[in-house]
Amino acid sequence: MAKRVKRKRAAAERGNGAVKPSSRDRKTLGDLTGLADRVVTAAQRKRDPHVDIPSRTLSNVSYNRRKRFIEMGSNTNRRQLFNLSQAKAYMQTMLVASGCKRLIDEGKTTSIRGLYYLLKHTIKGTKEETFAEQSECDPIIEDVEVLLNSLREELHLFAQKRGDMVGEITLIDSGDEIDCSRMGSGGYGIPSIVEPEVIQFKKCDAKFILHVEKDTVWQRFNEDKFWRKHHCLLTHGAGQPPRGVRRMLHRLHDELGLPVYCLLDNDPWGYYIYSVIKQGSINLAFESKRMAIPDAKYLGLRSRDFRRCELSDSVKINLNDTDRKRAKQIASYPWFENKQPWQKEIAEMLANGFKLEVESLISKDISYVTEEYVPERLEKQDWLD
Amino acid sequence: MAKAQRDISVSEFFVKNRHLLGFDNPRKALLTTIKEAVDNSLDACEEAGILPELWVHVEQTAENRFKIGVQDNGPGIVKTQIPNIFGKLLYGSKFHRLRMSRGQQGIGISAAGMYGMLTTGKPTKIVSKTSPRKPAHYYEVQIDTKVNKPHICNGRGEGQDIPSRPEAARSYIEKHGIEWVEAPHGTRVTIELEAKYQRGRGSVDEYLAQTAIANPHVTIHYLDPEGNEHHYLPSTEELPPEPKEIKPHPYGVELGMLVKMLNDAKGITLSQFLRDSFSRVSPGVAKRICQNAKLSTRASTGRISRNEVDALYKAIQQTKISAPATDCISPIGEELLLKGLHEVVPAEFYAAATRPPNVYRGNPFLIEVAIAYGGASTTAQKVTREMLAELLAESDARTLRQFLTMTFNGMGSEGAAKILGEAGFGARVTPGKLKAKQIDTLHHALQNVNIDDGQTMNVYRFANRVPLLFQPGACAITQTVMNTNWKSYGLSQSRGSLPSGPVTLMVHLASVWVPFTSESKEAVASYPEIQKDIRLALQSVGRKLGMYLRRRQKVRQEGERRNVFLRYLGEVADAVHQINETDRDDLYHRLLSVAQVKTAEADTRLDTRGRKIEEEDDDLEADGSVLIVDTHDKAINTNGSASNGAPITEEE
Repeated sequence: MAKRVKRKRAAAERGNGAVKPSSRDRKTLGDLTGLADRVVTAAQRKRDPHVDIPSRTLSNVSYNRRKRFIEMGSNTNRRQLFNLSQAKAYMQTMLVASGCKRLIDEGKTTSIRGLYYLLKHTIKGTKEETFAEQSECDPIIEDVEVLLNSLREELHLFAQKRGDMVGEITLIDSGDEIDCSRMGSGGYGIPSIVEPEVIQFKKCDAKFILHVEKDTVWQRFNEDKFWRKHHCLLTHGAGQPPRGVRRMLHRLHDELGLPVYCLLDNDPWGYYIYSVIKQGSINLAFESKRMAIPDAKYLGLRSRDFRRCELSDSVKINLNDTDRKRAKQIASYPWFENKQPWQKEIAEMLANGFKLEVESLISKDISYVTEEYVPERLEKQDWLD
Repeated sequence: MAKAQRDISVSEFFVKNRHLLGFDNPRKALLTTIKEAVDNSLDACEEAGILPELWVHVEQTAENRFKIGVQDNGPGIVKTQIPNIFGKLLYGSKFHRLRMSRGQQGIGISAAGMYGMLTTGKPTKIVSKTSPRKPAHYYEVQIDTKVNKPHICNGRGEGQDIPSRPEAARSYIEKHGIEWVEAPHGTRVTIELEAKYQRGRGSVDEYLAQTAIANPHVTIHYLDPEGNEHHYLPSTEELPPEPKEIKPHPYGVELGMLVKMLNDAKGITLSQFLRDSFSRVSPGVAKRICQNAKLSTRASTGRISRNEVDALYKAIQQTKISAPATDCISPIGEELLLKGLHEVVPAEFYAAATRPPNVYRGNPFLIEVAIAYGGASTTAQKVTREMLAELLAESDARTLRQFLTMTFNGMGSEGAAKILGEAGFGARVTPGKLKAKQIDTLHHALQNVNIDDGQTMNVYRFANRVPLLFQPGACAITQTVMNTNWKSYGLSQSRGSLPSGPVTLMVHLASVWVPFTSESKEAVASYPEIQKDIRLALQSVGRKLGMYLRRRQKVRQEGERRNVFLRYLGEVADAVHQINETDRDDLYHRLLSVAQVKTAEADTRLDTRGRKIEEEDDDLEADGSVLIVDTHDKAINTNGSASNGAPITEEE
């Protein structure tokens, strides 16, 4: 959908003759040119061209206790052209920058996979490809984002769309009015770019947001029209929610004041999804400010639900070594470290020795989760923070 | 019983024990005969101060029968000596003196003649010309094995002059089945014998090639049984310095020998005896020996009892006597070793080392080592299809694998296994029974398998400039090479075996008396002193090789580094050009020059990181004992400045 918008705008601009960049594009173009100019300057002074990329590692993020989300530190990684192990990455960084410049010039947007194909070619005189796989290109794109301090959409890029929404809200997406309570069984696909220029909220009757982990669970809630009964929005992020979904949740929470409740699997992965929604991710720490929802609550599933809901033994999935390791890692995150309920929760899962998926509640009754489990939790305000 | 007891002549003994002299099989007999004749010729020329030139001809006269002729440009031999030299075993000038020479016992050539007579019934034929003014003289010599006594059979025991008129001379020579290359003086030996001619390892061809390495002053013209001419030209016009003859060193004398010497030297004082009979004994040293033996310096040698000889013997061992003079040995020298090796073995790196002389059992000796690394493909890769078929047909190896390792230089069992694997042959194929198609397959495999890795070090052994071709396993030289740790010099080596890699090693032992394990002079006995010196020399060339290999590795890495940068510069310039429309080519060239500076900087950093490396490098450059051949243009440069990695070239 975002694509459509851009195209429309591009078409409109083309109508005016030359492509006229927006003010935001002009700023990005300036940053890109600055990057290129530094290469020329270095070459003229016979210096080693390099870029200093803010480092996106655990060691360079810190938990801001006051703001309650992850912030990126000031550490940078120097990437040099004349360093054997960095030469190729440096070349790729410049390629990505030139690709973005081309997109902005032509007033078009593309997916990150599209950019990969745009830039992929055989290096002259060799059999080597500029990018062997998309997985080589994606981190470079993130590097360019942090390097230029630009958002992905400012570089005219978007990721694959993932995650849906349904509920009592009406919004304007690229000029089209969308009533999310009339989306049928499929829901409204949350676009990759949900910035205010693209999406504006028109009317909202919902009182809170229920975010579930997966599409399958989301379908259950939608079919039972849970959102109508409880006046809420229902979202899912197909596992780890992509930026579009996180940004949407953040905006809904921030601008409309809707509380966010998460219904996730009872396993380290589920805990981590919650952690990312609440505090931001290490990799995208530079965007925490726009994405983290420190007030998000963890509704379930809880380690004690196996006994509390009297589930049968057959729904247990045994923890493996990776799970145990991951759980201990999560327990030691600074934002969980001092929360006794969370420490207890994780300890209990480890003591159980098994994990539970949300779908396991179906073993009680098909609609147990929508008719009993979630309403009861909300009623009792029984959640983790 | 008593009747059956009688004298055994030396000749009879060797007829029965011909393997002791190197005549165990027809193939070896051919080589030994040529070897003895060539050794004698070279010794004769050098003693007379003539730069040696040899003509060697091997000719097949019947199946399993060959006639070999070896002629030199030496001084010729006078008539009275001819029968003794060529017909009597254990007769010679070299046995009783201590001086470095190729032959030492006086067995070789007469044994060869005897072998020829036994197997073909033909006498040894000698043509000798002692002066340009006198006609060449022709002798036929036979040996009476019962009494070890030779006699000349032609011209009523006098031999015959070859007529001086050209036509008459030609018909005379033809009639007697001999040849003569016109020369002012010289000797030609012709022996016909039962033999087998085979190429490959331990062949006549290899022997002559190796002789050329160790004797860079010698010219050899070789006509092989197939009529191919080979010429080994000298790389120096200078004769090696003539080795001096020395008296035995006291440390080398044994008790029985001492008794005999005392008996021979009657009526002089002990002090004088010691001074006259031994080298390095001054009046002072003689006095100290006598003191240690509690004998008077003035005691008469005739009246010394057995017990006193014992005491004297012990006293000699206890007294400090300086090492024997070493001018009795003439080394080849590092420069000539390199030249000789370079002439015969194509490679990219050469190094040589000559050890200072040392002493074993009172005999001075000296070790020289030269090494050649890389570049050369083995003979296996150069062999033609026809040649291979011939080689297979004439091989007596039982299995194909054995054939490969025996025929080709530098082919280890690993390499052979690789080739057989590629060709898809089993281990037990008989070489002679291959079909034409199988030979094609084998030939193809030989060409295509890279056996550089599986290649084993080639060891050329020399004793007094004579190549040793047989019994490598029993030889102290091979054993020492195997026991040296080559891993630290950049070669791979499994425990207790020769290192692998494209390496040719040459070890020369020069001594007044080379301790062979047997009369056939095939292997050197293991004296600890000799082994220690060999090891030190090996380590010395090994260090140079290691340095070279490390530097080559470094240069290669640097080249790769540079290539990586070059590969991406064009892309970076393109990208930057797209973003800010800077001049693409200008930026590219600027980046290129930065790359040049960067990699050059990296060069120096690598060099100076350890001071040791820099010093070593300097050594390697300035060292005259190292020869590095630039493989790109095949130019030789003795300063050894190999090209520094891939040159920076511009794109397109």
